[in-house]
Amino acid sequence: MNRRDFLKITAVGVTALAGAQVIRRAEASEPTPSGGRQWAMVIDQSMCNGCGYCVMACRAHNDISPEITWNPILEAGQVGDKRIYLPRPCMQCSQAPCVDVCPVQATYYRPDGIVMVNYDRCIGCRYCEVACPYGARAFNWKAFTDPNPVVPEWGQPEVARRPRGVVEKCAFCYQRIDRGLALGMTPGVDPEATPACVVVCPVGARFFGDLNDPGSNVSKLLKARTSYRLRADMGTGPRVYYLSATEENAQP
Amino acid sequence: MKIRLKLSTLSPWLAWLIGLGVVVAAGVGAGLIVFWKGLSVTNLTDLIPWGLWITIDLSSIAVSAGAFSLCAAVYLLGLKRYQPVARTATFIGLIGYSMALLTLILDIGRPDRFWHAIVYWNKHSLLWEVTMCITLYLAVLALESMPIFAQFKWLKMRWPKLAGKMSHVHHYAPYLAVVGLGLSMLHQSSLGAVYGVLKARPFWYRPDISVLFIISAVAGGMSLTIFASMLSVRLTRRASVDDNLLDRVAYFIGWTLVLYLYFRFWDALSMTYTYQPGRTEGLHLLTSGPLSFNFWVGEILLGIVAPMVLLLYRPTRTSQLWRMIALILVVGGVVAYRWDTNISGLMIVLSYLPGEPIVEYTHYFPSLIEVLSGAGVVAYGLLVFSLGVRYLKVANHQTVEEAEHAPEKLLAEPAAAERTA
Repeated sequence: MNRRDFLKITAVGVTALAGAQVIRRAEASEPTPSGGRQWAMVIDQSMCNGCGYCVMACRAHNDISPEITWNPILEAGQVGDKRIYLPRPCMQCSQAPCVDVCPVQATYYRPDGIVMVNYDRCIGCRYCEVACPYGARAFNWKAFTDPNPVVPEWGQPEVARRPRGVVEKCAFCYQRIDRGLALGMTPGVDPEATPACVVVCPVGARFFGDLNDPGSNVSKLLKARTSYRLRADMGTGPRVYYLSATEENAQP
Repeated sequence: MKIRLKLSTLSPWLAWLIGLGVVVAAGVGAGLIVFWKGLSVTNLTDLIPWGLWITIDLSSIAVSAGAFSLCAAVYLLGLKRYQPVARTATFIGLIGYSMALLTLILDIGRPDRFWHAIVYWNKHSLLWEVTMCITLYLAVLALESMPIFAQFKWLKMRWPKLAGKMSHVHHYAPYLAVVGLGLSMLHQSSLGAVYGVLKARPFWYRPDISVLFIISAVAGGMSLTIFASMLSVRLTRRASVDDNLLDRVAYFIGWTLVLYLYFRFWDALSMTYTYQPGRTEGLHLLTSGPLSFNFWVGEILLGIVAPMVLLLYRPTRTSQLWRMIALILVVGGVVAYRWDTNISGLMIVLSYLPGEPIVEYTHYFPSLIEVLSGAGVVAYGLLVFSLGVRYLKVANHQTVEEAEHAPEKLLAEPAAAERTA
């Protein structure tokens, strides 16, 4: 085999491999399957008063360090006399940049659309943090070993603590959804099967449910009212919808 | 009394080794603190998760690019006479890539899981592709360096057969050069694409970074090779080079810089007219903001324009001093480009609130631990290269001739004897 032959064989081999990859990618499952349940959250900004209960409940139920917030509340201007807030959980994008960039597939889509992190696989490279347009990811710079200050006042931990050195984020309280479904409950209707932030909200500004079920409260709300999603122009397809506050609907 | 005598006879070589050893030791200490305490000892944050280490990572890979480009030139384009230069480049490449792996281990939150990328493939991830390429290419470089390690006198004396086998790997050099070229073309570019594919960061989100990364890497990699060879000759008798070869490569670097400047110009100019939130601000950070000195002086003036002129203008190129200055400027420019690329995109945080995106600025300065461990990695590279010059004669263009022909002669002699019989 001379050099020319070797080059030829290499070129053919590389092309064939690349071709096979393209075909495999085309066959790979779509991030948004049409069948089954598709969880979504609707947040009504006309109701949210920025009390921060959801932040606390989130920290307790997911056993999050006080230095990390999965679900911060941002100030988003003013309508009339009322301050407007924007709570920001993970958007559970249907085209999530974090899923694409993770070098080890530690972050992935569940069939129901939730973007998960496998904390046993994450290597802590933080590429997903750099790639996320919503700043929804937080790195465990330190180990969280102290007792959780918001437990038991705001709830009991339902998931294992993440170790130092991995990236973590909101996952729509998947543990509550899964347990609830196993017990025959309906997420979004039964509190035990619904994300903690939705349940704790004292003004009922958050709604949760299945987008594929036309009878779910999220489907009805999105049909009845105008909604928007954060940075929809980027094509990430967030599953968190916001109902804007207007002069007419803003609660004092 | 004895100690004092020894100290008074401390040669510059020993002093150099001890100095590097101290920095390496400090780096190891800092690295252990990182592993023990975690990344909270760095000044990295959730807004700037990548800093000094990623710059060392990118830079050491970039300035190792001499290995693949010179090996391709020698074994694929048939420019055989550059083989001695490719030899130096290969050794520098091996050091550079091992430096990159060391810094990566420091930088990831779970160093114990470094092998995950090799087992759990995410083929959509540029970082996965880069990790795989670097790992495979490090293996290629190790094979390519076998004949160099076979030059080690102690090895030759102790295990002559093993040394002979290692030397024999040289016969596979053309095949290794093909694989090395393929892997390097992939990851040298996709290190830029790691940034270029991120839509959340409009300043990075453009295809040009990958092109600029590979062109600047070729210029920087060749420059470091030639610079290191020339410096070795000045410092030790164990190095000896064919200056004509180095002059030709330096001339080629000059033209590579023309190409690099051309692409840099259009890349920057096109960004001026996008008016996209985040991108315009990113360009302003470079051209008139806190990074403007790095950009105009470090990257453009000293990193590209000055060495380009010095290397294309014959009188300055043939002057040893000016050529060396030009070459080290190219290396500095490439490092500055990597630092600026990483930090400029991270310094701009785009808001996701409804309405027009607002730009916020963040700030980063490496912590002492980051600097010490980074310096340790760099000192390790210098130390290994110095030892290579001394004991493996990596910067010696004369030994190569022997190495290349010695095994062939051995093989040829019995054959010739048979024929005469």
